[in-house]
Amino acid sequence: MSEQVKAPTAQPGKQVIPLSEALEKLSKLEQDNKLVEADDLAGRMLAAMPEHPHILHLAGIVSYRNRRIAEAIERMERSQVIAPEVALYPRNMCEVYRGAGRLEDAVRAGRRAIELAPKDARAYFNLALILYEKLDLEESVRVAEQAIELEPNYPEAHFEKAEALLLAGRMKEGWESYEWRFKLKQAEGMLPKTDKPQWDGQPLPPGRLLIIGDQGFGDCIQFGRLIPWAALLCPQPIVACSGELTPILRQIPGVGKFVTKWEDTGEYDAYIPLSGLPRLAGIGTENVPPAGYLAPPDALVEEWRQKLDLLCPKGKKRIALVWAGRPTHKNDKKRTLKLKQFAPLFAREDICIVTVQKGEQISQAGAYYGRAPLINLGPEIGDFIDTMAILKNVHHLVTIDTSVAHVAGAIGAPASLVLPKAPDWRWLLDREDTPWYPSIKLFRQQTAYDWSGVIERVAAEL
Amino acid sequence: MREIRCCALDAATLPLQDNTSLLETQSTEATKFFNEKKYAEAEALALQVLDLAPNQRTALRVMFEIRKAQNKHEAATVLGTRLAGLPGLPGLRAQANTQFAQYLVGQGRHVDALPIAAAALKATPKDATVQHVMGVVLTETGAVLEGETHYRRALKLLGREDGLVVANLAWNLKLQGRLEEAAGLYEKALAQRADNKRGVGGQAQVEFGRGKRGKAVAVLDAALVQWGEDRTLRLLRAMADLAMHQPQAALDRLTPTEALLAPEILARAQAFEQLGQLPEAVSAWSNARRMQRERSGLVYRPEPLQARATAYKAYFTADRVQVLPRAKPGAFTPVFLLGFARSGSAVLEQLLGQLPGFAIGDEFAPIGELAGAVPRLVGTQAPYPEALDELLVGENQELPGRLRALYEGKREKLGLLRPGVRFITDRALSNFWHIGLIKLLYPEAPIIHVLRHPYDLMLANMAQDRKFEGNAQAGLPALANYYGIHADMIRHFRGQLTLRYLPVRYENLVAEPAKILREVLDFIGAEGAVPPGIGANNEIVPDPLPAHFAGREAVHGKAAYKHREFLGVMPHLFDEVKDALAPLIDELGYAEGDVA
Repeated sequence: MSEQVKAPTAQPGKQVIPLSEALEKLSKLEQDNKLVEADDLAGRMLAAMPEHPHILHLAGIVSYRNRRIAEAIERMERSQVIAPEVALYPRNMCEVYRGAGRLEDAVRAGRRAIELAPKDARAYFNLALILYEKLDLEESVRVAEQAIELEPNYPEAHFEKAEALLLAGRMKEGWESYEWRFKLKQAEGMLPKTDKPQWDGQPLPPGRLLIIGDQGFGDCIQFGRLIPWAALLCPQPIVACSGELTPILRQIPGVGKFVTKWEDTGEYDAYIPLSGLPRLAGIGTENVPPAGYLAPPDALVEEWRQKLDLLCPKGKKRIALVWAGRPTHKNDKKRTLKLKQFAPLFAREDICIVTVQKGEQISQAGAYYGRAPLINLGPEIGDFIDTMAILKNVHHLVTIDTSVAHVAGAIGAPASLVLPKAPDWRWLLDREDTPWYPSIKLFRQQTAYDWSGVIERVAAEL
Repeated sequence: MREIRCCALDAATLPLQDNTSLLETQSTEATKFFNEKKYAEAEALALQVLDLAPNQRTALRVMFEIRKAQNKHEAATVLGTRLAGLPGLPGLRAQANTQFAQYLVGQGRHVDALPIAAAALKATPKDATVQHVMGVVLTETGAVLEGETHYRRALKLLGREDGLVVANLAWNLKLQGRLEEAAGLYEKALAQRADNKRGVGGQAQVEFGRGKRGKAVAVLDAALVQWGEDRTLRLLRAMADLAMHQPQAALDRLTPTEALLAPEILARAQAFEQLGQLPEAVSAWSNARRMQRERSGLVYRPEPLQARATAYKAYFTADRVQVLPRAKPGAFTPVFLLGFARSGSAVLEQLLGQLPGFAIGDEFAPIGELAGAVPRLVGTQAPYPEALDELLVGENQELPGRLRALYEGKREKLGLLRPGVRFITDRALSNFWHIGLIKLLYPEAPIIHVLRHPYDLMLANMAQDRKFEGNAQAGLPALANYYGIHADMIRHFRGQLTLRYLPVRYENLVAEPAKILREVLDFIGAEGAVPPGIGANNEIVPDPLPAHFAGREAVHGKAAYKHREFLGVMPHLFDEVKDALAPLIDELGYAEGDVA
């Protein structure tokens, strides 16, 4: 007789459905992001069968998705104790431990998953992720390569390998693997549907190269500096990018025309994403083209100067601040702080905080009552050109790893960038500076996921 | 009366108004009975008439007077409404509406009286009584500038200085802070009508506000000799005792040997606090609030406030406000003083008012009044704040400028735009609702938010006889909830708008007034030195003078963290509001103890 549980909509004791169906339903609810319903079903399934390992495991995943990490771990660990030979459990635990910041446990779970399923490429990939987080980069590359060996067409593993190589400063190899980024699920639609080839770095007639502003704003600003290099080989390239980026990239010389829709590109012979230019240009840590390639218009700088003179108390250093990134960014949890975590800055009476934060997180400014005056400037900022003009009117920027850091770096504005222990590859390792932006100083976490001490160091150096 | 002739009356079945005159003889007879105090006969006859013709004016009038005399206010209101709505000659309509408006005024229902008084005014605009009633209604509904206009029209129409109208005009000017003019008018009014007890009370308040405390006390003492039983005058005298730090005198005056009213018990609470008898103080205000709840049916109604908060928060978001047009700089810089009641914003306003270049706007003509006018001005059915969407369209883009002109026009009428004035304070309590509108009218106006420990705010307000919206004064939990709404709105606006915002702590202000004032002046861009003795708070300030000047005294820190003394003797005093206030105390930075 197969196991059965009460149907989620049935009256207690009245109707039952087979366990397999209930498990399938739970899994589907979780995958469809119906987390409240999933939570409800998981609770009832657990009440009916509290020691069933797969219910525990799935219920744990639902808890994790609902941000109840401790409960997730407790449920999933119990499933492992009950069924220690199921490879899926440690494989998923690996990610849950990572989310909880328990990297050693995550590594142990990852290795156990591989032990139980040595042919499972996903298990290797999960472990490679953890090893990146632990900054064990060589091992991360090696494990990612094992995943690739098992499943050569595994974009995530290639991309993970690229990130580890780039972070380690092995740029040439890194750029090659980095090409897999367009095969990632989330990259769908980033490139035009075309039969034209990707540009190989050879000269083309004027106006025949399409450069695509792919990825986030920060990447586009960072790699935008290579447009003049591309324009030397293919004069007057077409640049396709979002409307928000256009006013920024327009400042870069050599572009033929800007388009914001694929249908407006016109004819071209080859295309290249902006993030593909460093590979073609052979960029390493020693030959990055200089920053200072963007600048806000003087009139706008003056306009913001007047506004800030009015808004900020006199005689205080103006410190611009960004504390949160776009929540949909894959690493947002790692990089984003709460406003109140910048308390060491707020204790200083000699500064005025000028927040250049945008998005929903600006609401945190409403609860600020620190000693330093705070001007919530985000609501008045229209675009990145405004941000540039504001940064020209402050003493310093303190920011997390988000697009505003790139804006500051590109205009040469002094900035302190706070980074997680395992940062994005572009910030490299074990250094306080960055070859991409000389005006930025890096402040790294000493311990993974622990910001203590970081903001104190930033505040002390202002 | 049968229901079909009363509440379930079908207006279509009414006889023509002219035809009701056929019953005039019987109605006049009923009036005669009424005048002879034969109320049963009067009622019986009037009801018979109304059964035949429910719109018979004279019979209705008789019934209206009878129900009024019986204190049957619901019935009187129905009858008054029907009388006021009868067609007829302007004089008759004006008379009915005026009488009904006066009845509503007597009930304290000034808002209800407004359309009735307006109908009377439209019928006979040259009638002095009608103008006078309109003045009363507008004054008591907060439209003091408009109220003054009608009082002055009444006097002009009368062609003489009627004691009652002049006294009412004096009270109106008192509310505008024009104390010198008000004092002169009271002299005139009381010379004519020395029996006007309310006028005497008003005069005493004006004199107290002008700093002539001796005169105010003499006026009240003399009045109490004449009208020893008048509790309003006695309470005013007790409040004078309290303002002069003579708490025992106030207690002696308000002895619990008789059944005291809630405002009197609240005054006793203040007296106990001044004497340091803290449990007695708490016991007094707790009793007064309980009495208001149990006997007067005072109930806190947060639902409309919460609905308003939800609507405002949904509308005033960063993205939405960013695209709305804004007014250009105006004739002066308003300085908005934000703060919960008893936060100390009055102290800050008093200090600022002593400096050159400043005028005190206090709560006169608050910006919130403009919010209600927005839908009408842009011609939309949508309520405020959704009506602001119309600002995106065509000539409505100029509306912020027009609204600002209205705001400034009222300030000019109040006499605040004196030569040399650059800054005018605005301390309206309702401003916390209207920071979004302030942003559109004065995008870069400084907003100074006076913070104070929430427990101190609770204590300071519970002993005050002050009415809050939603009846938030009903008890400690109600007040804490209202405070939470207040804090929530400010948090929202600060989180969604770029404001020129400076928080100032009451505790710091009273500890170092000159230093904090300097910071405030630097923030708002006002040059000039702060006199070292500013804390004495005794410089002469020109009219208009707000009511809080009556309690003006040297700045002191005795009330800072006052709740600690209370908690020392009543550790469970805040138990019922602790959970509600703890996050706010933490957010404001008071959780760690004294805030420097």
